[in-house]
Amino acid sequence: MLRWLILLSSAVVLAFNLRNDTPYTLTIPASFGHRYTIPADNPMTVEGVALGRFLFYDSLLSKNNTISCSSCHQQNRAFTDGFALSIGVNGRTTARNSMSLANLLWVRHFFWDGHSPTLEDQALIPMAHPDELGLAPEKAARKLQQTAFYPPKFKRAFGTDSITPLLMAKALAQFERTLISAQAPYDQYLRHQYTLTAAEKRGMDLFMRTSNVAKGIRGANCAHCHGGAQFFQNVFHNNGLDASPLDPGRQEVTGFDADFARFRVPTLRNIAVTGPYMHDGRFRTLEEVIDHYSEHMASSRTLSTDLKGPMHLTSSEKKDLIAFLHTLTDTEFLQNPAFSNPFLTQ
Amino acid sequence: MKKLLSLFGFLVWSWNVSAQVVLKVTGEVNTPLQLQASDLKALPHTEVRTVDKDQKEHHYSAIPLIELLKKAGVTVGGQLRGENLVKYALVRAADGYEVLFALPELDPEFSTRTIVLADAVDGTPLPAGLGPYRIVVPGEKKPARWIREVREIEIRFAK
Repeated sequence: MLRWLILLSSAVVLAFNLRNDTPYTLTIPASFGHRYTIPADNPMTVEGVALGRFLFYDSLLSKNNTISCSSCHQQNRAFTDGFALSIGVNGRTTARNSMSLANLLWVRHFFWDGHSPTLEDQALIPMAHPDELGLAPEKAARKLQQTAFYPPKFKRAFGTDSITPLLMAKALAQFERTLISAQAPYDQYLRHQYTLTAAEKRGMDLFMRTSNVAKGIRGANCAHCHGGAQFFQNVFHNNGLDASPLDPGRQEVTGFDADFARFRVPTLRNIAVTGPYMHDGRFRTLEEVIDHYSEHMASSRTLSTDLKGPMHLTSSEKKDLIAFLHTLTDTEFLQNPAFSNPFLTQ
Repeated sequence: MKKLLSLFGFLVWSWNVSAQVVLKVTGEVNTPLQLQASDLKALPHTEVRTVDKDQKEHHYSAIPLIELLKKAGVTVGGQLRGENLVKYALVRAADGYEVLFALPELDPEFSTRTIVLADAVDGTPLPAGLGPYRIVVPGEKKPARWIREVREIEIRFAK
């Protein structure tokens, strides 16, 4: 009887070890809060995150093995690529600018127009798109299945070595949820470990405040849309880029005329390294962005109510704002070995 | 023939526009609502006079939120007791902005003020960017919950 019990418990231990689904513990910055959802059918595990990281950096996921997710989402640029529009597997450009992948755990609608509700849903879309990775996820799964490298990794992460697009998406989503950026000088300032320079402090005040002429308060009120610890709100706005916008943006998703030319408000964390800016990458520098909000707002029927009327910031106010925006650059995030290319560190 | 086709296209387009669901009431409700503009127009309206952000008094024509809750079969009135007291309405705007009201805030058996869904101000429909539907919270000092472009009211249990 005892022998049977020992045998049984060894089998249980062996089965557990084969799967190795060690829970992955995320460190959530207290100021970010816990308003996020990790799907019940995709709990994060050390093995799942590790697999997702390999997939993120693997050009096998593209049609001609030339590019990977990391081509347009480079860590040292806070997972953007430095181009106005990215270049896909066929040499053609994408329709919109590559978005930063920081703090996606708190994003509720993915892509510039918010057409994906989860990271799992999002992950396979650029894979299949002819102007991005250009490979049907089913074909990508078959390519991975034929390697000696991936089937054991899927077995450890998900208990099966039968690779499917769904499991690929789950692994990618798990890795992307680990990309948390909360160690910038601004965060250190909040913890009383960094003293803002005078310009950074003036810039922060402008960023956070609403203008109040009666009280003599100057404010750019950037925080209205880019506020909160993550420096974005989960909202969509037409920020006055064109009097006759060409890209319908959010309207294509909802069908509402009121959503015409509205786009997701992106995070400003690491904004100094994620240019060019806007959904079409039209602005090369932060100076151009601030000039736009200050003086060049184009009126159209869906222009955000909060952006009507020019701000007319002075040149020193613009410099102060940019100084503050630089305090959001999180060097630790940009260099964190856990987010880097695992094929280079194996 | 071409003219006929364009006429047909126009009719389909106008049917789509008029049949568009403009407000949903979802979540912990007996009857989820998918309301079109005509449905909302037909609901009982009230008049609310309140001071707006411009410090001037304005005259809103509006549907008391309690009417929408009753229509959807939300636990209000005599049913707003026990665990139902930890239910709340999450109001969501077109741009994704969200605000929250605890159910007792919306129930006239609890609250002396009437929180409403306005569709006109000073006799004219709410303009684009504010309307077509906006929550008005009479007497609230900060207008952050006067949520504009309301598209959905979701009733939830606090967990």
